[in-house]
Amino acid sequence: MTAIALRMTGADFLKLRRKRWLVLLSLFLTLGILVIVYLVTVIQHASNPGAHGPAGGTKNFSDGMRVLALFFGPLAAILIGVEAGTGDASAGVFRDLVVTGRSRLALFATRVPAALALCWTVILAGFALLLIGSIVFASNLPTPSTSLILNGLGFTLLATGVLCVIAVCFASFTTSRPGAIVTLIAWQVVASPLIASISSLGSARKGILSQAIIHFSPVSVEGRRGAQVAMSQGTALLVLIVWLVVFLALGAWRTRTMDA
Amino acid sequence: MPTPSNDPATSESPLAIETHGLTKRFGERTALDGIDLRVPRASAFGFLGPNGAGKTTIIRTLLGLTSANSGTMEVLGHPMPLEGAQALQRVGAIVEEPRFHMHLTGRENLRLIAAVRGPEVYDRIDPALARVGLSERAGEKVKSYSMGMRQRLGVARCLLADPLLLILDEPTNGLDPGGIQEFREMIRAMVEQEGRTVFISSHLLDEVERTCDAAAIVDRGKIITQGTIAELAGGGVARHELVLGVDDSDRALGTLHSSDLVLEANRFDDGIRVVLADGVGRVESAAAVNALLVHAGVGVARLEPVRHSLEQRFLEITARLDEAPVDSPGSSTREEVRS
Repeated sequence: MTAIALRMTGADFLKLRRKRWLVLLSLFLTLGILVIVYLVTVIQHASNPGAHGPAGGTKNFSDGMRVLALFFGPLAAILIGVEAGTGDASAGVFRDLVVTGRSRLALFATRVPAALALCWTVILAGFALLLIGSIVFASNLPTPSTSLILNGLGFTLLATGVLCVIAVCFASFTTSRPGAIVTLIAWQVVASPLIASISSLGSARKGILSQAIIHFSPVSVEGRRGAQVAMSQGTALLVLIVWLVVFLALGAWRTRTMDA
Repeated sequence: MPTPSNDPATSESPLAIETHGLTKRFGERTALDGIDLRVPRASAFGFLGPNGAGKTTIIRTLLGLTSANSGTMEVLGHPMPLEGAQALQRVGAIVEEPRFHMHLTGRENLRLIAAVRGPEVYDRIDPALARVGLSERAGEKVKSYSMGMRQRLGVARCLLADPLLLILDEPTNGLDPGGIQEFREMIRAMVEQEGRTVFISSHLLDEVERTCDAAAIVDRGKIITQGTIAELAGGGVARHELVLGVDDSDRALGTLHSSDLVLEANRFDDGIRVVLADGVGRVESAAAVNALLVHAGVGVARLEPVRHSLEQRFLEITARLDEAPVDSPGSSTREEVRS
């Protein structure tokens, strides 16, 4: 990355991190939810240890990681990505950036690392809390192994990072913040699981992004790592790459050709 | 703020902006219809027209914010959009109202632009803020700024480019009278002391007349006429006129008609109107006309130069356009109203 690209990325990161509502909401989704979960389970365990196990340990770490990587983390990633993709246009300053003479592709490209930087910062904060809680509140339960922690961290960053990049690109393509947020969340939370559950669609379901992401989960659910569609590691990787390439191309094309 | 320097990013063209046959259509509507515009360097150039005339569209087209359907354009000698990156390095622009990230401070907004323009630009932030009088408020969020302060910050943002060409779209919107006066002085200083070119789009005729050296009048996507302010106000030539109050109109008219100083002299309700010959200074010729009449025994009670305002001329032109039938683009309307 050249010095100018680093500066531009830093500028994009500044725009994002100074959006108070965005940072607070993202932290709530990644940290706040986990705090609430830990509070409830700790209180339950303290009040009735026979019926409710400790809040920590390997199983709770795995459950918490899936929640962070596959539900609340992606929501935060979508919010951050959409803001990165539409921030300049919605503030009306995109044209001021264009009249600097800097390439529009460069303006688009630096949004992606800036969004990832904020996204992974809040995700790492959530993951750190999850890890600390799973050790501190483990009681007599086994704590997560180093391998599980590292694989879990990689998976969480992958799952949220892919969503974040796609959100930047999709938002750059639509240039509508509410439209992009609603569409992406609806796709991620409602449409993807629904389509994945329609078995008559067969192998076509391999193309669903969330199914490909789940394939890389280090923890198994019902013997299939939580995925409803079986696919090879290579296929899952190919699906991820295709999604990223297609959305990066769409976002770049729109940013390059739109009236500013 | 440093004076603009020679830069490999700029060519030696004597024109800051030059367009030929620039045309832009939005669907069936022709927003720019064969615009031929020539803006000389180191001048303040007004781009006048009523709302919806195409002023902002030409600015957006010149800056590469939207594409033209046909025609050619050069900015600082560089063909646009082909060499847009080089041309825009030394261009500062405010398109429509200046917009900012409201959640950031004034200084942070300038830092965003500096990051995009290049490392040398960071050093220009504080001088630019000082020049527009925003140094003390630069640490406050832009959402707390008044419209006038945002206009000033917009100008500061333009100055980050150390611009050879400033393009300002309705720049005095939101400024109070004091701010307008300061703005006017700043523009004149940029042109006269620093050799910058300032292109101002406005529907405020008086503002253009006071600030600019030359102007173009645009309406319905066409350049109706362009020239110096004096030429435009005089109807194509810089006419000097006088109104005289005399005790003997007949003798005065006879004397004036026989003089080489006078091109035309006619009786009106308010006195005798005299059009002075070209090539004679306004003050000298007025004094000579007075001496001529007094020498002929005509008592001169009043001698008053007629000030042709751009507004008067603009209204004449647009009134004639309104009377002309609205026909297809490229009609003879433009030629009919050219003086």
